[in-house]
Amino acid sequence: MPPKSETHASSATTGGTTAQFDPASDSIDLMFHILKALPFSFLRPPRLRLKLPTFTLPSAMTVYSLILLTYFMVVSGIVYDVIVEPPGIGSTQDRFTGAVKPVVFLPGRVNGQYIIEGLSSGFMFVLGGVGIVLLDLALDKNRAKSVKVSYASAGVASVVISYVMSMLFVRIKIPGYLR
Amino acid sequence: MVAKTEKSAVDLLKSPGMTSLFKSLKLKTKQQELLIRVTILFLVYVLAFITRLFSVLRYESMIHEFDPYFNYRVTQFLTQKGFYEFWNWFDSESWYPLGRIVGGTLFPGLMVTAYLIYRTLQFLRFAIHIREVCVLTAPFFASNTTLVAYFFGKELWDSGAGLVAAVLIAICPGYISRSVAGSYDNEGVAIFALLLTFYLFVKAVNTGSLAFALASAFGYFYMVSAWGGYVFIINLIPLYVMVLLITGRYSMRLYVAYNCTYILGMLLAMQIRFVGFQHVQSGEHMAAMGVFFLMQVFYFLDWVKHLLNDPKLFHTFLRITVTCAVGLGAIALGVGTASGYISPWTGRFYSLLDPTYAKDHIPIIASVSEHQPTAWSSFMFDFHILLFLFPAGLYFCFKRLSDATIFIVMYGLTSMYFAGVMVRLILVATPAVCLISAIAVSATIKNLTQLVRAKSKASHSASGKGTISKASSKGSLDQSLPFQRNGAIALLLGAFFLLSRYAIHCTWVTSEAYSSPSIVLAARGAHGNRVIFDDYREAYFWLRQNTPPDAKVMSWWDYGYQITAMGNRTVIVDNNTWNNTHIATVGRAMSSYEDEAYDIMRSLDVDYVLVVFGGVTGYSSDDINKFLWMVRIGGGVFPVIKEPDYLVNGEYRVDKGAAPKMLNCLMYKLSYYRFGEVTTEYGKPPGSQILYLLGMGLSPASTSAYISMVVVKLIFIKNQIWTKS
Repeated sequence: MPPKSETHASSATTGGTTAQFDPASDSIDLMFHILKALPFSFLRPPRLRLKLPTFTLPSAMTVYSLILLTYFMVVSGIVYDVIVEPPGIGSTQDRFTGAVKPVVFLPGRVNGQYIIEGLSSGFMFVLGGVGIVLLDLALDKNRAKSVKVSYASAGVASVVISYVMSMLFVRIKIPGYLR
Repeated sequence: MVAKTEKSAVDLLKSPGMTSLFKSLKLKTKQQELLIRVTILFLVYVLAFITRLFSVLRYESMIHEFDPYFNYRVTQFLTQKGFYEFWNWFDSESWYPLGRIVGGTLFPGLMVTAYLIYRTLQFLRFAIHIREVCVLTAPFFASNTTLVAYFFGKELWDSGAGLVAAVLIAICPGYISRSVAGSYDNEGVAIFALLLTFYLFVKAVNTGSLAFALASAFGYFYMVSAWGGYVFIINLIPLYVMVLLITGRYSMRLYVAYNCTYILGMLLAMQIRFVGFQHVQSGEHMAAMGVFFLMQVFYFLDWVKHLLNDPKLFHTFLRITVTCAVGLGAIALGVGTASGYISPWTGRFYSLLDPTYAKDHIPIIASVSEHQPTAWSSFMFDFHILLFLFPAGLYFCFKRLSDATIFIVMYGLTSMYFAGVMVRLILVATPAVCLISAIAVSATIKNLTQLVRAKSKASHSASGKGTISKASSKGSLDQSLPFQRNGAIALLLGAFFLLSRYAIHCTWVTSEAYSSPSIVLAARGAHGNRVIFDDYREAYFWLRQNTPPDAKVMSWWDYGYQITAMGNRTVIVDNNTWNNTHIATVGRAMSSYEDEAYDIMRSLDVDYVLVVFGGVTGYSSDDINKFLWMVRIGGGVFPVIKEPDYLVNGEYRVDKGAAPKMLNCLMYKLSYYRFGEVTTEYGKPPGSQILYLLGMGLSPASTSAYISMVVVKLIFIKNQIWTKS
């Protein structure tokens, strides 16, 4: 094996140094020879400056933001929305006046929702997660002090708001919660 | 005075006994840490067990729901007759007249585990009944799962994260819902096997050790023997390997781990008759095989690269090889699928990838309430604050990417997607969510405690032990954020508050929502006192005692397992739902007029019909509520049953304004039989809805029936109701 590869290597380098667009003399590719014979003996391909697009992997944080978006959709119950097709928001009719009042939270069942209530709850969950991420970013030593303080306060505010709102939503949805 | 007492205390301490005791208790830091960890794990182990015992304390030690009754019956058979009889068992008491090959159509892991525990306890001379062992198997394995979660967390991040993961998974309602005491079902054991397999595989990938890969294969074997959800493992691990290959993390460790696990795991899985040769024949398992061959290609290319020492030539070789490999793989897959050797994805798993598929094509799968897609409130109920901690934990995993954290991220994302598609699969997502949330909690609390301890560290280094620059930088940090320590303490208190709210929520949910045995019902009486209905078990016992031993009972498939286990009578269809046509025949009988139904029941040799009716108590999941599913499933096979016949203006009604076909079908007649004699509410005349029914010639006196007066369950001898004239 070793001597054979060396001769191949040497022939490749000599072929490379002679001409850039004429590797025909040492190519072992059968398809290349066939194509050279048949259409391209009378057709002249134009000289283009094209490059194959290179595939680079996205950075970790790009992937993370995409994942956060997907998480928001799943936790809002998008599959439930697609299959069961509930209305965006429910409505009841007032018994005495006949006016139609909107109902945001589907009452009576744990595993049922309207679209808007799902999206708002999902937003609260993602807000809470982002708040904790901001808290971690605030502890990074390489930032300015004002940026760190604002990150920390935004993080704490996000977590507090999302927790309080989520508890409020659950209490509205399930009347007997924690009783 | 004070000096005197102090002196006496010091004298006491200096006495020889006390000093030796103190010296022996003075532990080094590492030993103190070990003691703390072991104590926490022990407490978590006990906690996981006792939080699942609510229903045992409230009612009694009994088996819950429907599926566990079949598992219990099989375990009883196993303990009485031995393993070989069990493995070759043909059950003629269910799916009359077809029978069921039990040995080849179930996952034996759960029953064999309970049998082994029972044998061990008997060997240790504990005289315990098999029912107690079955009831308490699931909490025992839940405790074991917390230990595995600790080791897994330690592998992923550090031991602090492991401890937090153990605590979170011990009380998480998503796991408790299927592993409460009495829920003797496959998932109780399967989640332990799942987490164990994943832990051993990640450990094998991290260390490249052949021993751990072997252990992972045996863990996979246990999972295959326990639950049909092993398909998740055999698809997640190849997907993980693919992601590692794409991100350029191919290594010898991965090669050793995956090859050993896959080959051995596949061979071991073929020992389970129910699985058989699916690992080489079924479309759901082909991803693993494809990745296996891809790994060989990678290894081959690595070897050639090592031999060639020339990048340009290697590139050409690479292109040719990859094209050939992909082409050959595609051709092989195409030939296998076209010739029918590789079967396509089964409906059960295909409906996970395309959720709209079951609604249109397979009504049996769509009708099960556990298979509905998940709404946000179910997520909140089962996870609480873990829903906030999950995205934060993903962030920490992305910050510190390694082979192990990539795995847990993939596990978390795929399982959360499937949990969104089907409520039941929240169970599979729970370990991943708990682990990732544990990473978030551990990392955040570590950051905060470092802040709290930073000032004291700076003061130590300022005393001359550390470098001067370190002291100055820490000093400047202190000057810039003066309230840093107080803020960190406040945030720590906030974190503990959140975790305590999580514990309160989990205990409340376990107590209120997930501890009901479903076979014993409870409700609030007129004066607020708790009333217990044991109607189901009374009715099955009546069946057992008052009917001939060879009687055949027809009911909807929900109750099949319970009738065979407790009533000890042959049933027509049960929860295994393996034969759709047989179920559709029963559905057709329930929704036809009486004389047509009589013909069908005659052909099936039925002696008794069992119907659940909740009109007296307002029990809402009775057969009238499920009736439209009977119509849909029956209509799916017999087009003579059409759903619009039973609806009025598209609406499902059961009062006197109902559709005429509805009022005259067998299910309706049986449900409201003799309802007119029952008083439902104080003050209203008895049977106020039923005057219409009594005029239809159903004479009460000609039948012998058992009617339990609360959740009314009617069982008729069919011969005497309808006479063919």
